[in-house]
Amino acid sequence: MTEAMRGEAQSLVTRANIRQGNPASAGRASAASEGPAVIDVRDLEVAYYVYGAEPTRALRNVSVRLRPGEILGLVGESGAGKTTLARAIMRVVPRPGRIERGEIFFMGTDLGAMSEAELSKLRGRDLAMIVANPRGELNPLLRIGPQIATIAEVHLGVSRKRGLEMALDMLRAVAIPDPERRLRAYPHELSGGMAQRIVIAMALICGPRFVISDDATSGLDVTVQAQVLDLLRKLVREQNTSMLYITRDIGVAANFCDRVDIIYKGEIVEDAPTEAFFSGPAHPYSNFLFAAFSHNAELRRRWMGSAPSPESDAAEALCLYADRCVKRQVRCLAEHPALRELAAGRLARCHFPVER
Amino acid sequence: MAPVLEVSGLVKHFPVEGSHAVVQAVNGVSFTIAAGETVALVGESGSGKTTIGRCVLGLVPPTAGSIRFRGRDMGRRWNVRSPALRGKMQLVFQEPGESLDPRMPIGRSIAEPLRLGSLDRAARERRVQEVVQRVNLPLDILDQYPTELSAGQQQRVAIARAIVTDPELLVLDEPTSALDPTARAEIIELLMRIQRELGTAYLFISHDLSTVHQVSHRIIVLYLGRVLEEGASRAVFRTPRHPYSVGLLSAVLLPSPGLRRETTFVLEGEIPSPINMPPGCPLATRCPFRIDRCSTAFPDAERIGPQHVVHCFRHEEVAAREHATDTFEEFQRIAQRILAARGDRPESELAGIPALPPHRQADRVEDDTER
Repeated sequence: MTEAMRGEAQSLVTRANIRQGNPASAGRASAASEGPAVIDVRDLEVAYYVYGAEPTRALRNVSVRLRPGEILGLVGESGAGKTTLARAIMRVVPRPGRIERGEIFFMGTDLGAMSEAELSKLRGRDLAMIVANPRGELNPLLRIGPQIATIAEVHLGVSRKRGLEMALDMLRAVAIPDPERRLRAYPHELSGGMAQRIVIAMALICGPRFVISDDATSGLDVTVQAQVLDLLRKLVREQNTSMLYITRDIGVAANFCDRVDIIYKGEIVEDAPTEAFFSGPAHPYSNFLFAAFSHNAELRRRWMGSAPSPESDAAEALCLYADRCVKRQVRCLAEHPALRELAAGRLARCHFPVER
Repeated sequence: MAPVLEVSGLVKHFPVEGSHAVVQAVNGVSFTIAAGETVALVGESGSGKTTIGRCVLGLVPPTAGSIRFRGRDMGRRWNVRSPALRGKMQLVFQEPGESLDPRMPIGRSIAEPLRLGSLDRAARERRVQEVVQRVNLPLDILDQYPTELSAGQQQRVAIARAIVTDPELLVLDEPTSALDPTARAEIIELLMRIQRELGTAYLFISHDLSTVHQVSHRIIVLYLGRVLEEGASRAVFRTPRHPYSVGLLSAVLLPSPGLRRETTFVLEGEIPSPINMPPGCPLATRCPFRIDRCSTAFPDAERIGPQHVVHCFRHEEVAAREHATDTFEEFQRIAQRILAARGDRPESELAGIPALPPHRQADRVEDDTER
């Protein structure tokens, strides 16, 4: 990385701190440093209301805390509620979805108590989101430079000239070759990897405190993905930003995240520091998911119960994973397990977690 | 035995509309596939993998070179449509949801390729039931519609439709990339079992190296339409000799923190545009081993082992600097160690536990052996 990039990242840190009125924290960049939670989600419930049917509970009792500078990997399969959680935190759950219960605190402030106007000021400035389809995020009719600059103009109140300067600095920070020329490019002139980096630049230009990446690197080639992840980590660390990294790929989680949360049917079933998780997952579902990456049919069979049965969705009493679980016991059908601590910082929602 | 597929000197250029520029998608690719063999094409997007697959199937005519299927030249259009070859090559796409007609019941979708054949209606129905069972789907699925199925089940249907004509070659274009990890593992196991049972040859197109490691016998590393390295899967994964192969393999993130192929260099940047490429090695713009010669001439094939071929002037230096190691196998050992213990309680404590509900056919694990 170049000197210019380091300088720029440093100035971003400073800028963010000035805006937060917290000069004391300048220079603090250690990963996951102690401090109040940047994002604190408490007992969040989201349901989708479909006419003529029981509402589908997309999130059940989800609590998630991110400390400054922490990267939390949220891992689960399609339909588990990953994107719903991301949208709920941004308070943009689409209809017919509804936040039923729970609170979301950002730097100690309840987002639920904020007006839409206040939220709009926060989104894009302090809360940013990077999604999987970068081209869908970019306006095809506008050049890259003005698109990035507009965000800084709107949220930081800078001039167009200053906005474009900042956009250029961000393009350098995300290692776009020939950045002066790219400022004048249209989105269709960019490769997928480059468009993804532009979207990252847009998300980070205001020095946000919290970023959600929703499957943002899964469409990229492995070589480009590795570069983009290195870059994201560097920027996140230097700005002391917290990040919720949503993915289906536990390989990325293992190498990029500080902590891992496994989500199944709208519930967090395991929460563990990355090293601990990958030395042996505690929840049977986590083990089943891990086995899918082992490329070993025999191991997979060891962890595979029977097919999911739809009836279990309605039943409150049982463990949501009971019907597929290889370690199921009578208690699992009678009592819904709580997320409980197995060791310092390690939680699992299971009556009979795997002990190794 | 003669190979099922023989591709030699394949070139495919696409003109760019409104200019004299040419997209050089494929620039002289040769390979063969034998019956029962899986050959994987790997490389970043834009390396020409899909174009090769389309040329093989006769969906786009090659600019130069020849494609022979069971000894017949497929460059001639009448051969592609010849009744003797009809249905002998089939294709499975990446997005199962998009490759099935949403308004057609599953049974009709699967029977569709048989309509050109000589089977009568009853024989067609029997054949459809046969393949549905072979891909482990319940028969009542035949009356359902694609939207009623999970992505994994849809991909099973797409595979059933592909094998219904008893093809000798399947072109699998990223068949597992759109699937969840657990569905992906099931589909891979299914494809390997089908190959064992039917001896079908696979041309497996994928950028997921971990899947390729599991399924392929041989691997061809492509970059901007050129073969840079090819060989037995085991050899290329263990001792890659082309800087590009090393770069690809060391970029893979495996589900074990810090487990990555150790390497002495990184591949910077990304794949350039395949329009009006300069002569020489296509990797020259990114390669840390680049010397002057690389920008003027493309290196000839050098044989460095049985079946292992590399196109690089400095492959000996790459070999001297890189350790022989297969991180994918290393991860499999780690996974074995972690997952072998289930921490079950002794049998005596398990009395009185209700039986699991009956297994659904679709979710039965494929029994499979490792390659």
